[in-house]
Amino acid sequence: MTELRMPKTFADEMVEHCIHGKPQEACGLLAARDGRVVQVFRMTNASASPVRYSLDPKEQFAVYEKIESEGWELGGVFHSHTHTEAYPSPTDVRMASEDVPYVIVSLAQEPPSIRAFRIVKQNWMDSEGSIEEIAVSIEG
Amino acid sequence: MAVQVRIPTVFRKFTDGNPSVELEPGTIADLVDQLEARYPGMREQLLTSEGQLHRFVNVYVNDEDARYLEKLDTKVADGDTVSLLPSVAGG
Repeated sequence: MTELRMPKTFADEMVEHCIHGKPQEACGLLAARDGRVVQVFRMTNASASPVRYSLDPKEQFAVYEKIESEGWELGGVFHSHTHTEAYPSPTDVRMASEDVPYVIVSLAQEPPSIRAFRIVKQNWMDSEGSIEEIAVSIEG
Repeated sequence: MAVQVRIPTVFRKFTDGNPSVELEPGTIADLVDQLEARYPGMREQLLTSEGQLHRFVNVYVNDEDARYLEKLDTKVADGDTVSLLPSVAGG
């Protein structure tokens, strides 16, 4: 995937969730069909931290079930950086586990910025990997 | 009937891109053995060197977290669905 297409309403919803989550990081999942976001899932940051996030496994499971039942695909994982740029931190790389775009919403400036990356690892448990930016196309 | 195992994106390079595979009933440990036999390399993705479920892998049997059942000894029957979920986290 070289581009993540996202209707503006979903981009706005994602940013709103991130702003609402301050001062903690916020996180969520994106469902997509053919590379186009069709739903934003606002998730609980189980880490409840300004510098870490983790999805609650039970919530994550429920969303995966929904995505499966709708015939969608997991379109991405998003989270906020409250004070740093929209670029994967070493922790983001170390913890990356899904082979989908990782979308980062930076609240460090106004307006917030949205960028997406694929984190490529030989093995998902590796602590290091390469970072490839994916274009985010906000539609409408 | 069989056990349907849902494969997350990160493991699909082992399953030829398949998002789910069908396996024979047994325990979760048996399913791991079947996955390894069919897709070499899967075991070490799911289990630690001590043979326990990797802490960053969540396994659901239908809608129950196997960690709160009998972990690798949890029995899985025909018609059950097993979902493998990598923990999603960062900073």
